Amino acid sequence: MHNQDPIEIAPQSVRFFHQNLFKTLVYFFLLILVLVGAYKALPLVLDAIFLLVIASILTVVLNPMVDRMESSGISRIIGALIVFGGIFSTVGIGIVKGIPALLIEIGRIKDVIQRHTAADSLDSFMNGINTTISQYLPDFQLDTDIISNLSAQFFGQLGSILGGAINTLTTIIFILIITMFFLVDGSRMMKRLIEVVPNRYFEMSLNISYKTKKQLTNFLRGQLLAALGVAVQSVIGLSLLNWIFDANISGVFLIASIAGLANMIPFVGPFMGMAPAIIVSLFNNLGDPVAAANFYYIFHIVVMFFIVQMIDNNVISPIVVSGSMEMHPLTVILLILIGSQIGVLGMFLAVPAWGISKVVVQEVYQGLKGHRLI
Amino acid sequence: MIAKPKVSYPMFESFKDKLKPKRSQAQLTLSQVEIFSRMSWREIKIIEHAIHIRNYAPNEPIFKQGDPGSGMYIIINGRVGIFFEVPNQEPTQLPVLGESDFFGEIALLDDSPRTASATALDNCTIIGFYRPDLMQILKTKPTLGSKILLSLSEVLATRLRGTNSELLKLNLCLEEQAAAGDHA
Repeated sequence: MHNQDPIEIAPQSVRFFHQNLFKTLVYFFLLILVLVGAYKALPLVLDAIFLLVIASILTVVLNPMVDRMESSGISRIIGALIVFGGIFSTVGIGIVKGIPALLIEIGRIKDVIQRHTAADSLDSFMNGINTTISQYLPDFQLDTDIISNLSAQFFGQLGSILGGAINTLTTIIFILIITMFFLVDGSRMMKRLIEVVPNRYFEMSLNISYKTKKQLTNFLRGQLLAALGVAVQSVIGLSLLNWIFDANISGVFLIASIAGLANMIPFVGPFMGMAPAIIVSLFNNLGDPVAAANFYYIFHIVVMFFIVQMIDNNVISPIVVSGSMEMHPLTVILLILIGSQIGVLGMFLAVPAWGISKVVVQEVYQGLKGHRLI
Repeated sequence: MIAKPKVSYPMFESFKDKLKPKRSQAQLTLSQVEIFSRMSWREIKIIEHAIHIRNYAPNEPIFKQGDPGSGMYIIINGRVGIFFEVPNQEPTQLPVLGESDFFGEIALLDDSPRTASATALDNCTIIGFYRPDLMQILKTKPTLGSKILLSLSEVLATRLRGTNSELLKLNLCLEEQAAAGDHA
């Protein structure tokens, strides 16, 4: 008889291990492929998310207007077109009227700097300012190097900012197209999106999305109304300074718009709004002995913005802004620091973005708690 | 008098059929529900855009007692059981609901917790009409929204009247029992 080697069958656990090892390796390689793909596609995805988020915020702001038009019998698409027509007209007028004024203003500031630089250099001009300051504050001296560096940086970056603005025109057009789709068909899109939610969480998700949308609308509307309030008050205040004290502050509407927008950032915003007015007053009144005697109207401007803030904090904001922006000053500073990593836009958007996230998280938490899921 | 025989023209009939508006199952169900029965087909079509059609498997809960309520449900097909839960007791089943029946309509008006649980007894297709949808209709189509609210109020008023008369009967019954007890 032929002596045959017995075939050894590996124990089941070992076979199971080998089969699983193969499967695991395949899954591992697939995972690596997916991760590499995701890493490569990440910038594109982030860009798309950014566009969608901005378009969603615009939709939340504009939707009430389209809803109102629909309630008076105008179809949604016509309503959206009317709203967009209004926006384009306003932005168009703003560009036609505002940009030449802005360029003139920048040119004037540049002239002042160049004039003084040519005559007796920027250093001697800064020394002049230091002499004026020393009359009031003997121990205080402005560091001239820092100021000349800052002005060089500002004018150096101005070109790149303008160049970037032209580049972002395509992005703005994309955002407007998406917003148009959201305005006309947003509720149907939302309905399709929410349909995928399992039955168990459906009612809760619908409720959360509705409440979040409502809160966001109130929050953004409140912020914009408060910004508008500050801008209108700033126009009145700066015009009064020009009228009563002959303060020679030009670009009142532009400064007021910046002050209004900056007001969205608590604590720091009012100072950011004040700065352009002080800079313009300083450069417009250089060499004027009356203005120098009045310390370039800086005190007047500070008092005016202080009054605007008082009215905003005690009258306008309590009426129009919901309490969702109650934040610790440290949180605001941290958020602005984080936002500054992205740039000036990041600094502006960090606090409102945090406010929006807070509203969303609050609503989701309340919803989950109400349905006893947490 | 001899009645004239009705002549049918197949081509004309098929043309007539084509012209007939096609109604979806949801539209037909909505038109049979008391709240929407007086609405025109145009209005029902608007409501159809706002509603959500959901499918439930047998024994799948639709909502549970105590959950925050946010809307009403209308059964397109299938059966739904309504259960009233009392602590430390077996849940009491209320009458089984079928096609075109609706439940949970009070939640359209306020977000107080559900007073009973609803469970699909077999495969069900159900229309969900929620407060956010009603609010959107009220915002964009105020006339239709008001019509829905008025119909809803009528349904609730009828139900309240029924409950009042039941309560009155119960009260009388209790008084009679108390009087009989006194005599005894």
